[in-house]
Amino acid sequence: MGWSWLVWPVGAAVLVAAGYVTATLPRRRAHQHARRVSWSTARSAIDAATVSRDAAPRPVAEAEQLLTRAQTLAADRGGPAAARAATDYARRADELWRTAAGSQDRA
Amino acid sequence: MRRAVGTEVVRWGALTAAVAVLVVFLLAQRQDIDVSYGQSPARATIAEGSAGELSDASVPSVEEMTALVAADPVVRLPGAVADWDDDRVAAVIGDADVRILVAPPGLDEAERDRVREVDNATVRIIGTQVSGGFYQAYSTDLDSWRGQFATGDVTGLLTVLIAALTDQPKPADEEGFAWRDPTPAELGVVVGDLRTAGRHVADGATLADAPRPGAADAFPDGTVRYVALPRQPFGEPVPNYGPALAEVFPGDPVVVQYGNWVEYHGPAADEFAEVAAASFYGQFSDRLSRYDYPQTNVLDAYLSRVTDVRYSGLFDRPLPYQPVDPLRVALPALPWLFAGCVVLFLVLSVRSVLRADNPAGQRRSVRGHSTVPARLAGLTALAVEMSAVPGGASDAPLTRGIGKLGAARAALDDDLPDRHVHTLLDDAEDELDGAARLLGFDGYRPDVYLRSRLG
Repeated sequence: MGWSWLVWPVGAAVLVAAGYVTATLPRRRAHQHARRVSWSTARSAIDAATVSRDAAPRPVAEAEQLLTRAQTLAADRGGPAAARAATDYARRADELWRTAAGSQDRA
Repeated sequence: MRRAVGTEVVRWGALTAAVAVLVVFLLAQRQDIDVSYGQSPARATIAEGSAGELSDASVPSVEEMTALVAADPVVRLPGAVADWDDDRVAAVIGDADVRILVAPPGLDEAERDRVREVDNATVRIIGTQVSGGFYQAYSTDLDSWRGQFATGDVTGLLTVLIAALTDQPKPADEEGFAWRDPTPAELGVVVGDLRTAGRHVADGATLADAPRPGAADAFPDGTVRYVALPRQPFGEPVPNYGPALAEVFPGDPVVVQYGNWVEYHGPAADEFAEVAAASFYGQFSDRLSRYDYPQTNVLDAYLSRVTDVRYSGLFDRPLPYQPVDPLRVALPALPWLFAGCVVLFLVLSVRSVLRADNPAGQRRSVRGHSTVPARLAGLTALAVEMSAVPGGASDAPLTRGIGKLGAARAALDDDLPDRHVHTLLDDAEDELDGAARLLGFDGYRPDVYLRSRLG
């Protein structure tokens, strides 16, 4: 007898710990992954918008505002939702500047 | 893929088994031992007389008995059964004034109290229970029990008790019981009854006719044959039916009752008959001596004692098969079983976590061979070529495209999923396509350029 009863509590603790780790680890990893992916998208969108702004023939106040918001969000480094919002702002600013550039070309 | 599913099944199976083993172990810890002295009074109190041990006999009042004892040194009340060897008792008594009161067996408690209140009786005998003064005499071996219960012989008990009361040394034991062979006529009657009915109940015997329910457990083999005889007259040799009947019915258990004395003859008699008898009379001789049990009850008690001895496994007597309790057998193995299941679950869990963690495996698992690096390289080469061409309006899309390529490269280095990298490359391709159209040179359109590069 002696130590053999230890098998039960130790075994139960190992079971619970292994179950917890295997359940939470992939989920946390996926979360991390999604965050990195969405920020990668957001950063590339901000970069594109910045290029469009430099190429625009005239300043567009609304687009400037949107881009600033997106850059503020990116500086705060939030979660995937913040990254999606930043992407959205940057894309809209990009659209505005491109439209401005396009109308300039036609003019 | 199928292997992965099988591993998952094994993994969760191990977990389920471990939990089941744990539950079984915990349930098995329940202990049900019910021993109680502190919570007495005990439940069943058996009323005196409920087993038929009281007889119809009664005793006179204390005054009457006192007068009788004063008039006569030996008073035998009606129904008394005890008897003794006058010469041996007289030798012990000598000149002392010893008065003996002999009462019948089967008195109830009030009647026994009346007998004990007769103060001038030196020795009181109730049934065959001998007491006097502060003493009570007991038989302690099979020979004296046999004399006491088969013929009512209390000589040994009386002499020992009187010797103790009169400060004499303990007298030597003397055998007062004698066997004789039954006559052919006696044996013929008994054998005839046993052949026809399986039992012989002589006149005066109190064995019921119904078959005894405990007989099958006590004697599993052969037909049990019962001979019930009343208490035998004292001082005469007793017909020894047992060995003679065992010869007539070889292989059959034969139970012979003389009064309250039970004899067994037949198969395996040497192995257990003495043990069973010593155990039985050691426990019950006190009650048997002062009460008047029917022989049926004595026989039932004897049969259950034989069953006890048989089931105790002392004498290699074959027992009926008793299935083993699987829980008792499995209990020592449970911790190992549990530990094995835990280890299996742990190993498979670690494996599954490690496999999900392996990026190389993930990249390989994307359908088809990966084209991400090739596509990135091709588009990067295109961008480098295009940036050498002065373009004005095409600068903005080209710069955006180069920015997207940079992002795709960073994502690739960062081990982000191929799907995401492809999205970034799609964006870059669109920008480069736009730039090529602005330049007006189809050779720079990405699909054309990449196809020509591959070709």
